[in-house]
Amino acid sequence: MGVFKCEPMIDKQQETTSSYSFQTYALGEQAITLEFGNEISEETAEQINSFKELLSENLFPGFKTTVSAYTTLTVFYHLMEVLTSDLVGTTCFEKVSNYLHQLKKSEYQIQHTSKAVVTIPVCYDEKFGIDLREVAQINKLTVNEVIEIHAAARYRVFMIGFTPGFAYLGGMDRRIASPRKSTPRLSLPAGAVGIAGNQTGIYPLKTPGGWQIIGQTPLKMFDIHRDQPSFLNAGDEVMFKPISMAEFNELSCQ
Amino acid sequence: MPIEMEICIHKAGIQSTIQDLGRYAYLSQGVPIAGAMDSLSARLANIAIGNLEDLATIEFTYAAASFITATDLLIAYSGEGALLITGELELPAYRPLFLPKGTLIKLQNNNHGARTYVAIAGGWDVPTVLASKSTYLTAGFGGYQGRTLIAGDKLKNNKNWSESTLKLFSQLKGTKPKFTKWGILAKSFFPDDKSIRVVPGREFSWFTSDSILYFASSSYKVALNSNRMALNLEGAAIERSKKEELLSTAVTPGTIQVTGNGNLVLLMADCQTTGGYPRIAQVAAIDLPRCAQLKPSDDITFRYISQENAEQLYIEQELEINTLKIAINDKLQ
Repeated sequence: MGVFKCEPMIDKQQETTSSYSFQTYALGEQAITLEFGNEISEETAEQINSFKELLSENLFPGFKTTVSAYTTLTVFYHLMEVLTSDLVGTTCFEKVSNYLHQLKKSEYQIQHTSKAVVTIPVCYDEKFGIDLREVAQINKLTVNEVIEIHAAARYRVFMIGFTPGFAYLGGMDRRIASPRKSTPRLSLPAGAVGIAGNQTGIYPLKTPGGWQIIGQTPLKMFDIHRDQPSFLNAGDEVMFKPISMAEFNELSCQ
Repeated sequence: MPIEMEICIHKAGIQSTIQDLGRYAYLSQGVPIAGAMDSLSARLANIAIGNLEDLATIEFTYAAASFITATDLLIAYSGEGALLITGELELPAYRPLFLPKGTLIKLQNNNHGARTYVAIAGGWDVPTVLASKSTYLTAGFGGYQGRTLIAGDKLKNNKNWSESTLKLFSQLKGTKPKFTKWGILAKSFFPDDKSIRVVPGREFSWFTSDSILYFASSSYKVALNSNRMALNLEGAAIERSKKEELLSTAVTPGTIQVTGNGNLVLLMADCQTTGGYPRIAQVAAIDLPRCAQLKPSDDITFRYISQENAEQLYIEQELEINTLKIAINDKLQ
């Protein structure tokens, strides 16, 4: 596993503007990154999602796939298919870049897609939430208050990365922020819910990890047997629903 | 008629996995590309026996592996990790090889590179997982049961052969190992030039001019803890002039990141889909296969070229590969 970096606080912004722009740069010969800004914000995330959807309805020859991140959308393509296409430009990078800029111009209004909120059941029993007491202590709260605060917020998936199906969630209440463990644990179960700095997340696979663990979801966050192996996708809105140990066991059997 | 072919792994070697040209469809869900580290060699091995170039191959790491042919075989191998031998006979790389049932094939150290690819008529038959046959070891899926090969594993081919493959098999079939007089001239694809061509990365200007100069003029060493995810490089630390945090964004094989303490990390096939370290450079795709052949303690040097140049070099190589495919096809008509 690579080193997992601490991300800055996410500022929620309610307003969205009707116009946006991006800069492009090459990521190797077969990908282009679109930079929509340089700060994490709901607005930027909204723009990225909106443009991604616009692109998915207007694919260009050679298009492969996209990867969303905090402030960027990266578009992967087949170089030779772009080369032989009738896209305009002197290099393939330019052809794709021109196409994407043209596409943006065609759309003046950001389409606000109202997404359903994804609810993730979490058992906050201390059998799973092995660091609940520590998180409570650090923030001078009770264990129950930590759980209430964690389960009260609405989160947004800014990106998927780090490991298959790992969602970077924004929107956690600062009152439960906690530094990561000084020594990472060698193995955490798939489904462990944790806190590191100002962010919260769920380990989709059994991996080593340094986050403060506060609970466990019975859901499979990543499953290769599903059409869409990742349970969450960039742009999703997420809420956590506390469940009892009995409910956890019941859901685990499904 | 295509026949069923099978091998049995006798010695597993250091890290032997099934790899095709990678898994792109699930990048947005955090699933790495994986696939052959040296994708060019994997393609050439397939092309040599008339396969589609993206069929699954076995990627062997270094030598010390061996397998037994449980049936007659038509294979080709490529890459720099080892020489294939049977008894005293050295088998040539980059050309079709017929091996009769019951032959022990060993991978012998050649001190050149790290990885060897073995392609079989029709491709190795493993299940397709998330649109690829590549093994992704970290999450344990794809390839042969999501893991490295071990002694006793039995691998079969796919019986969907091309016309060229059928012709090659009937030409070479017999009771002894046999190969064609012609082979692919791999040298034309792998220049002797030791330096690796790179394009400035997005955060190129975040580093001091001294560090940028040093990066492109000195030699780095491949560290022992390098693997399919990344080559860690040892050398003078790269210093930052801009201390700002980078927000995680997409990375891809060939991306060279600079870690917090100034070390270089060259991302390879199994790399994460996103990363948060500033990127000093991106290896030109044409030179990434050569990086895949580097061993721990090998030297590596970098040389800057333009993005346009990198793209042009890649296109020229693709056209050359196309010509090669046509030439092989013509030879078998």
